[in-house]
Amino acid sequence: MSKTTTLEVVRKTVTVDCTVEEAFRIFTAEAGSWWPVETHSINVQVDEIVFEPNVGGAVYEVGANGERSHWATVLEWDPPHRLVLAWNILRRPGDLTEVEVQFLPNGDATRVELEHRGWEDVEVDGSEKRSNYDVGWDVVLGSYVGS
Amino acid sequence: MQTNGHPLDALGDPTRRQVFELLRDGPRSVSDLAQELPVSRPAVSQHLRVLADAGLVVHTKAGTRHLYELDAAGVESLRDWVDGFWNEALARFKAAAEASSRKGGER
Repeated sequence: MSKTTTLEVVRKTVTVDCTVEEAFRIFTAEAGSWWPVETHSINVQVDEIVFEPNVGGAVYEVGANGERSHWATVLEWDPPHRLVLAWNILRRPGDLTEVEVQFLPNGDATRVELEHRGWEDVEVDGSEKRSNYDVGWDVVLGSYVGS
Repeated sequence: MQTNGHPLDALGDPTRRQVFELLRDGPRSVSDLAQELPVSRPAVSQHLRVLADAGLVVHTKAGTRHLYELDAAGVESLRDWVDGFWNEALARFKAAAEASSRKGGER
């Protein structure tokens, strides 16, 4: 028997007092300056957070021992306005959630809108939906295994 | 084997991910799991405890058999964890972006 849970999309908005370009750059190239590694990382100690700036690129943390832990894969890359990540949350090909981040000009500031969706497709049991995802996720799994 | 009870921390260990993945096919006993994994039964029990603390696995009984299965609420707790992650991450992002922008303005 397959149980699929329906859960609310995670939506967040934050207004940042800087330009859209600056906001996008800090969010990606300088993720290491704000990513909450102390409380929310895979490794105990994180040296670096890397956003590979292209579609298909990886987002990963680098631990003190140089080991990479894969967080997400870039699905869409449209600097400085928008990016979409595939966050393979349980690190299985079927368990795909998507994070979309938009950087919208708001006067001299930037409104950052984040949506983390796809919870309805995360399975706890059974495999009815798995086949939809098996195709196409080899790439992501490959980047995880190969890193 | 320390975690803070966060689902992602609990799944940070490769053996625990294997345990979790085996349980996706249905409830299993400790011995069933140990047979499929390169670790001892006590080690499997320990991993199950960590997964249970993170809200991903629950203990059930079928007659006299002790079984472990995935907790349907586990995915929900994972979502809640992610919700908290973004609250903290975006607050820190705002602080970092504004600090960097101020520095740029002084140049």
